[in-house]
Amino acid sequence: MDTFLSALKAVIDSLGATIALPIIIFFVALILGAKPGKAFRAGVVIGIAFIGINLVIGLMWGALSEVGQALVKNLGITRDVVDVGWPSAAAIAFGTKVGLWVIPIAILVNILFLVLRWTKTLNVDIWNFWHFAFIGSMVAAVSGNLAYGLIAAALAAALALFLADWTAKAVQSFYGLPGISIPHLTTAPGVPFAIFTNWFVDKIPGLNKMEADPETIRKRFGVMGEPVILGLIIGLILGILGFYNAGDFQTVLVKVLGLGMNLAAVMLLLPRMVSILMEGLMPVSEAAREFMQKRAGSREIYIGLDSAILIGHPAAISTSLLLVPVAILLSLILPGSRVILFADLAIIPFVVAMFAPLMRGNIVRMVIAGTLELLVGFYLATWMSPLFTSAALDAGFKMPENALSITSIGDGFLWPPALFAQLVNYLGVFGLVIVAALLGVAMFFYMKNTKAWEIAAGAPKE
Amino acid sequence: MPMRKTILVACGTAVATSTVVAKSLEEILRDRGIDVVTRQCKASEVASMISGVDLVVTTTPLPGNLGVPVIQTLAFLTGIGKEAVITQIIQALKL
Repeated sequence: MDTFLSALKAVIDSLGATIALPIIIFFVALILGAKPGKAFRAGVVIGIAFIGINLVIGLMWGALSEVGQALVKNLGITRDVVDVGWPSAAAIAFGTKVGLWVIPIAILVNILFLVLRWTKTLNVDIWNFWHFAFIGSMVAAVSGNLAYGLIAAALAAALALFLADWTAKAVQSFYGLPGISIPHLTTAPGVPFAIFTNWFVDKIPGLNKMEADPETIRKRFGVMGEPVILGLIIGLILGILGFYNAGDFQTVLVKVLGLGMNLAAVMLLLPRMVSILMEGLMPVSEAAREFMQKRAGSREIYIGLDSAILIGHPAAISTSLLLVPVAILLSLILPGSRVILFADLAIIPFVVAMFAPLMRGNIVRMVIAGTLELLVGFYLATWMSPLFTSAALDAGFKMPENALSITSIGDGFLWPPALFAQLVNYLGVFGLVIVAALLGVAMFFYMKNTKAWEIAAGAPKE
Repeated sequence: MPMRKTILVACGTAVATSTVVAKSLEEILRDRGIDVVTRQCKASEVASMISGVDLVVTTTPLPGNLGVPVIQTLAFLTGIGKEAVITQIIQALKL
């Protein structure tokens, strides 16, 4: 029996997400009450999704590694941390050993918080549990301790509930979504940046009166705002910078156009592959939603959803269109940062969506806050990239020899994973105790003075 | 045999919430004997994807005047009011 178990463990460890996750997902779906046939198909589809994502990531790594090395040679700047995009981050997070357990853990945390009346949010957005798995994976990578990673994932799930409650009234009134909150750890961490920017901008005469019209910006950018075109243009720019001296005109042209098309392909294919992962997860998330809604009782509950439902707002779209060139520029000039941005330029609307209620959709302020958050993010990402890379290996993604390190804006640029990982890095298990204490203190003051906190996050005063 | 209808499903990513909506729609409408094709896209791509589409279902706000009916709904994500939205969708498809 022992031999059998250790052999099984070896198989799971070596095959990673393609084998282990389908098996776990099958059982989790069954426990939550999904029909066996559906649960089985869900598991198989998830395995397929990982195979597909692996193929596309291989294409991207190949293309970006070559141009990354050429850039180092030509421009003398070290940009060896490649942005692989949030779809890769999500797949990596679900594929790690922490990711295997994140769904039951986060559901338990949510039910516990509802029973204790510590939250009003019922987080039915199972898909975005990947953020908790991501934080847990960073902690597991930095400490080498799976238990710490699992505890960190549970704390991250609690943090998401707190941030969702705190911002709920602001989101509901600004976006017109009664009864909804957003426990999404790419979006909610922006609130402190928005509070700071508002405070700062209010003090600067002239700037504090400035506005811009979102519709005009959106119309002017038109097709440029589409990820595929964005990927093509970035590929062409990187190609010209990296390969202009690669040989005769024909060689240069082929390399530059080839890179442009490769990166455009990644922008279209990667989200498609990840949507297969989402399709596989659906029977689980439907079963989990029914399971939790049945147990939530009849009191006032916010339903926690993906911030994807906020992104169509003109303020979010226009702000992110303006932030794309800013982000690329920062990526090229920031001293000490080693990150080259690419795949995650399409996620910027998620980063800025929670600014909008606080800033009444004022794009000038949103762009300033977004620039600030990205600026800090480059350094967090540079620091976290070795952890990110080792999480990818843990999840069984194949990386080429001498591969670059990897990161992504969602969530490699954000402070929650960096905070968790830094504290555990320096303090071990006490780091987790401090995170729990900080969260407890924040929740205590929020519950004591709910109204004032909600207004601080952008809720209307009345 | 009525013509097969095409529904464009939009959200912020074309990955997460639109997959839930698209797969639920396919399943529910198939159970009622209605044959539909769904396509998914980001909110920013709707304008380029609109040709040949009979109906847009979205989880996030879209710009106006697309020339086809648009239904914005969270019912497939929250499970609340799903039946009413399905009726609305079937009417919009003029079946």
